[in-house]
Amino acid sequence: MDFLIDFLMRLLVQFQSPTLGFLIGGMLLAALGSKLQIPSAIYQFVVFMLLMKIGIQGGMEIRDANLTDMFLPAIISVLIGVVIVLAGILFFSWLPGIRKEDGIATAGLFGAVSASTLAAAIVVLEEETITFEAWVPALYPFMDIPALILAVVLANIYQKKKKEGGNAKVNVWGIVKDSLQGSALSALILGLALGFVTQPERIFESFYDPLFRGFLSILLLIMGMEAYTRLSELRSVAHWYAIYAFFAPILHGLMAFGLGYVAHELVGFSPGGVILLAILASSNSDISGPPTLRGGIPTANPSAYIGASTSVGTPVAIAICIPLYIALGQIVFNL
Amino acid sequence: MTLHRAEKVIIITEKLISKGVCDIIEACGATGYTIVPAGGKGNRNIRPTSSRASVIDDFANVKIEVIVNGKEIAEKIMNEVADQFFQNYPGITYVEDVEILRPKKF
Repeated sequence: MDFLIDFLMRLLVQFQSPTLGFLIGGMLLAALGSKLQIPSAIYQFVVFMLLMKIGIQGGMEIRDANLTDMFLPAIISVLIGVVIVLAGILFFSWLPGIRKEDGIATAGLFGAVSASTLAAAIVVLEEETITFEAWVPALYPFMDIPALILAVVLANIYQKKKKEGGNAKVNVWGIVKDSLQGSALSALILGLALGFVTQPERIFESFYDPLFRGFLSILLLIMGMEAYTRLSELRSVAHWYAIYAFFAPILHGLMAFGLGYVAHELVGFSPGGVILLAILASSNSDISGPPTLRGGIPTANPSAYIGASTSVGTPVAIAICIPLYIALGQIVFNL
Repeated sequence: MTLHRAEKVIIITEKLISKGVCDIIEACGATGYTIVPAGGKGNRNIRPTSSRASVIDDFANVKIEVIVNGKEIAEKIMNEVADQFFQNYPGITYVEDVEILRPKKF
């Protein structure tokens, strides 16, 4: 019983974080029909800033890190991405009234990873002074890309089965290229390279690091507004998507937490790393994944998978999963 | 001033597939095209024209205009775009008669 009360108290504290406040604030603004507009250009710049900061910081710290430690968590990340997609497809195939392609695309999006959730998680972990290995954010592509590729490949195999001789050739390299060229991943990778190769300490300390939290609050405000706007689209498709989008992130995170714990026991993966891995798994791609899936699975209905991810999945990952796994980590690892 | 008759094909669709559409246009023999951002209401959704941040930029709409010399090329472009994309992606295409000043350019 003490365990549960302790857990709930920690959860309550997490709910007061300003990160979450901005997300809910954005939803409220959109719900009340506010005319507040944040221009597209600012949104794109904010995404760049956040991923650049995460990348540079990772790159600077990787210089002194032992990269062989990364091997097992990277394999686990690939495994999580693949399992999430397969489990999601299985779930949707049991349900009535779900088109196969829509189910595959939704599962693919939930297997992929969200940059905004990652940034929010890093801020909360820093506030809690929970440390993690510098290369943990670099696990992002290891989970993201396999999930997207698997979803597109499976959808194309399914279509080929359905009508012989359809355009069944899957351009796997095209998907990898698409993902790496996406705004989030390319900024993250450039940041990692710059942090690793150059000496960016001064620009990092004076520019990227101090602005990080402020920009994240703007991004979350935008995500909140978008979440509310997309709700109407989600209403037009089967309710199963909303139900999946609510519960799947929590289950995905739990699975990743378990696997992360195994890595903690085997190779000493840090508690902060386990928490961050769980949050990565619970997140679902909201920026760069949707266009890749739209291109790769054109027959899937975007209202289903984007509505599920942006309106329900991302708010659940940020509002519930971040506090949940931090509280769980604090109890499991006695932080 | 002498003006010459020509056809203008207009394609309104998602930014995501604009590259594929432009490839078709060029393959059909047109020498150029114009792309402008678009918004409005269609049978799928309302697409905002405002500059408000949309999280996925690729799903914004564009209007692609291409002027060609002759109805055959115009119809070829429209047919190929519709065949290749309009089953799965939102889009409309129509053709207008226009008058141009310098036919050599097209």
